[in-house]
Amino acid sequence: MSNVSLRSGFLLGGIRARQIVLAVRILAGGALAIFALSTPGFTSPLSINSLLNAISFIGCVAVGMTFITITGNIMSLALGATVSASALVFLASLSLGVFPAFLVAVLFGVVITAVQGAMVGYIRANPLLVSIAGLSLLIGGAALATGGQRIYPGGEGLQAFKGRVAGIPIEALYFFATVVIGQFVLSWTRIGREMVMVGSNLRAAIAAGIDTARTITVAYMLAGAFSAVAGILLAARYGSGDMELGLGYDYTAIAAVLVGGTAIQGGSGSVVRTLIGVTVIAIIATVLLLRGFSQQWQYLITGLIVLAVIMLHTIGERR
Amino acid sequence: MPILAVEGLTKRFGPNEVLKNVSLTLEAQEIRAICGENGAGKSTLVKIITGVHLADAGAVLVDGHPVEILNPQHAQQLGIALVAQELSLAPALSVLDNIWLGNREVPLFHRRKRFREQAQKALANVGLGDLPLETPVSQLSIARRQLVELARMLTRNARVFILDEPTATLSDVEIERIFSALRALKTEGKTVIYITHRLGEVFQICDSVTVLRNGELIGTRRTNEIDRANLMEMMLGRSLGEMYPEWNSEPGEPMLVVKNLAVPPIVQNFDLTAQRGMVICLAGQVGSGAIEVLRALAGLAYNATGDVRVAGKTLPLRSVAAAQDAKVQFISEDRAGEGVFLRLRVGWNLIATRLAEHSRFGMLAHDGLRAAAAETATAVGVDRARLRSQADELSGGNQQKLAFGRALGGDEPGVLLMNEPTRGVDVGARAEIYRLIRQFCNRGYCLVMASSDIEEVLGISDVIVSMYRGRRVATYRRGEADVHRVLADITHPVEAA
Repeated sequence: MSNVSLRSGFLLGGIRARQIVLAVRILAGGALAIFALSTPGFTSPLSINSLLNAISFIGCVAVGMTFITITGNIMSLALGATVSASALVFLASLSLGVFPAFLVAVLFGVVITAVQGAMVGYIRANPLLVSIAGLSLLIGGAALATGGQRIYPGGEGLQAFKGRVAGIPIEALYFFATVVIGQFVLSWTRIGREMVMVGSNLRAAIAAGIDTARTITVAYMLAGAFSAVAGILLAARYGSGDMELGLGYDYTAIAAVLVGGTAIQGGSGSVVRTLIGVTVIAIIATVLLLRGFSQQWQYLITGLIVLAVIMLHTIGERR
Repeated sequence: MPILAVEGLTKRFGPNEVLKNVSLTLEAQEIRAICGENGAGKSTLVKIITGVHLADAGAVLVDGHPVEILNPQHAQQLGIALVAQELSLAPALSVLDNIWLGNREVPLFHRRKRFREQAQKALANVGLGDLPLETPVSQLSIARRQLVELARMLTRNARVFILDEPTATLSDVEIERIFSALRALKTEGKTVIYITHRLGEVFQICDSVTVLRNGELIGTRRTNEIDRANLMEMMLGRSLGEMYPEWNSEPGEPMLVVKNLAVPPIVQNFDLTAQRGMVICLAGQVGSGAIEVLRALAGLAYNATGDVRVAGKTLPLRSVAAAQDAKVQFISEDRAGEGVFLRLRVGWNLIATRLAEHSRFGMLAHDGLRAAAAETATAVGVDRARLRSQADELSGGNQQKLAFGRALGGDEPGVLLMNEPTRGVDVGARAEIYRLIRQFCNRGYCLVMASSDIEEVLGISDVIVSMYRGRRVATYRRGEADVHRVLADITHPVEAA
C-alpha cells in the first residue's frame, strides 16, 4: 500500500520527529554560539551589559507571559501597554516614596490583568479578544489621564532600579528575582501546579475539582505583576515615560516563551525555559546589531526564527 | 453485483487490533444493521469505508472493483455518504444553502432554478417535500436536520448511506420519520448501513444484520431468519466466565440518597438510594439519562436540581468542589477529553485531586505527593516505574486506572461515580478494572456506574436500575434480571410491557 508509506513519511514517526527536533535544537544552539562568539565585540563588557539589560526588560514580561500561555490562554496583547501604564503610575506616584510607588505600580499591573483574567476565567471570554480590548482601554485611558504628555518622576529614588551591584546591572538582578519567583510558583505551589493542569486539559481540571477560573485569574495577575516590574525598570532607566515605553514587548515576550519551548496550547513549559528563550532572542538581536544590520533586518530575522521554532515544535508534537 | 464489499479488513492502533479480518457484502436496496457492543469495531469499520482510516490489510470493493478510499471526499465521490451523530450542517444557513454547501458542481452564483428544483426533489424523497427551502437549519428539529443531511447526500448521487445511531436522541414520532425516509431510499435502489444499539430497530427497519464482537465478524443474518435472542447471543458470545470477580457483598447503611433529581431536558423525578459496599448500575443507552444523573451528582451539570444526601448531609449540586468535599468522585468515560491529563505525567495524574491534602499554606509538599502517587499507583495496579512517563504513552486500560487512582484519594471511603468505566478498554484490562471496582466496594465505597454494555451490567452490579429516556424503567437485585429483560427495558420498554 503505497499510500500508507506516503502518509507516514509525511507525518514522520513519533520518535524520529522528537530526535529531529532535538538535533535541530543542538545544531541551532551551536550555530548561535559560534555566530555570537565570532562577532567582534560581542564579549566586550559594554555588549554583555546591554545584552543583560535587553534580557531583563523583555524577560520580566516574558516570565509573566509564560503564566498566560501555560494556562492555555495563548498570549496577551495587552502586556506591552501594561508595562507602559505601570511605568507611568510608578513615576507619578514617586512622590509617595520609592517603595510605596513600587507597590502602587505593581498593584496597578495586577488589577489591570486580574480583570482580564477574570473575564477569561469566569466568563470564558476569548483571551486574545479580551487582551485586545484591554490594550485599547489602557491606551485610551492613559491618553486621557496624562493629556498625552510625557510623565516625569514625581520624586527621588530611581537609583534603586538602575546602576550595578558587584558589576551586575541591577535590572538583571530584578529579572533573576522574577525568574526565581516565577519558577517557584510553578513548581512548588499548589496554584502553580493547578495552572499546568488547567492548561493541559481544562475539562479534566474541572472534573478534578480545580477552581479553574480562580487559577486563570491568578495566572493573569502574575503576568500583570511581572509586567509592572518591567515597567518600573524601564521608567527608572529612562527617567521619564509615555505609552510607547513598552511597545512591542508582548510580541517579543511571546516569541521568547515559544523559543524556550513552552507549549502554545498550554499545559507544559517553565519559567526557566522562558529564560533560555529570552536569552536566545536577545543574543540574536545583539549579534545582528553588532554586525551592523538595521532595525528592520532585526525584526525580519527575529520573525523568521520564531516561525522556524514554531514549525519545529509543531513537527515535534505530531505523533 | 454487490454495491459495496469489504474483504479481510484488519486495523491496528498501536498494540490493539481493533478489526480482525472482517468481510461483508452489501447489495442495492438493502438496509443492513451493524450491531456490536462498544469497542466491537463498528466505528472503525465505518471510518475505513468512509476514508477516515486506511486499513492495515484487506480491501474495499465498490461495484466489484477494489479501491483504496483515501479520504472522506473520495468516499463521497464513490457514492458513500455518512450521516454522523454530530451533524455537519451549518445552522445559520438555509436548507437550500446547506444542501449545496461544498458541492463541487456549484458555480460561483448558485441561485439557479436547477439547484432549487434538485434540492426540492431530494427533500421530497426523504419526506420533507413541504419544507420551504429558505428555512434556516437552526429552526429544524434534530430529526429534520438528519433528513436534510440525507437529502444533501442524495444530491451528491450517494448510493450507500451510513447512519450512526440516528435515533439515539429522537422521540418515537421523529424516529418514524427517519424510518420512512430510509424505506423511501431503499425503494429508490439505495443501500443503507444502519448502526444501532437498539435491537428493536434492527427488526423494525433492517433487512439483514452484521454482528461484530471484539473486532471480529461474528456473522451476517437476514432479520427474518433470526429473533432477538439469537441476535443477543451473537452480540454477547458466551465467554462471561472469569471476567467478573466472585464476591459476597453485604449492603451497608445508605450512603447516597437522591430524591427528585432533574437534569433538563432529559432526566426528571429521578430517585435512587445507594448503599455502602454496593455496585449500583444505571443501565441505559445514549439519551437514557443515566450519564446525566452521574454528571449531576458529580457537580458537572449546570442545571441540575433535586435533593441529594451523602451520608446524611445535603450535597449542593452544580459544584464539583462541593461534591469532592462530600467524597463524591467522578470517573469520566471520555478519557482524552476530561478523564486524564494526557500530556502530564502519570504521577501528576494520580494525585490531581489531592493537591490540597499535600500542601501547606499553598506550598506543595513534594515528598508527600511522591509517596501518595506511588501508593496510589500500587493500589490501582499501575507500574511504579511508569510514574514519570507521560500519560498518553499508556494503554487505554492503564489510563482508566489513572482515573480510578485520582478518584481514590483519602482513607475515608466515599461515593464513586463511573460512566462507562470500560469503554475502549481491552479484555485483559477490563477484568482488572472489575477487580478494582470490587476492591473499592470491599473498602466501603458506594459505587454508582452508568453502562450501555449489558454483559457488564449483569456481571458487576448488585443492583440494576434500567433507564429509558430520562426515567427509571425497573430496579433489579442481583440475580433477578437477565439479558432479555434489561435489554428490553433499555431499548424499547413498551415491548416488555
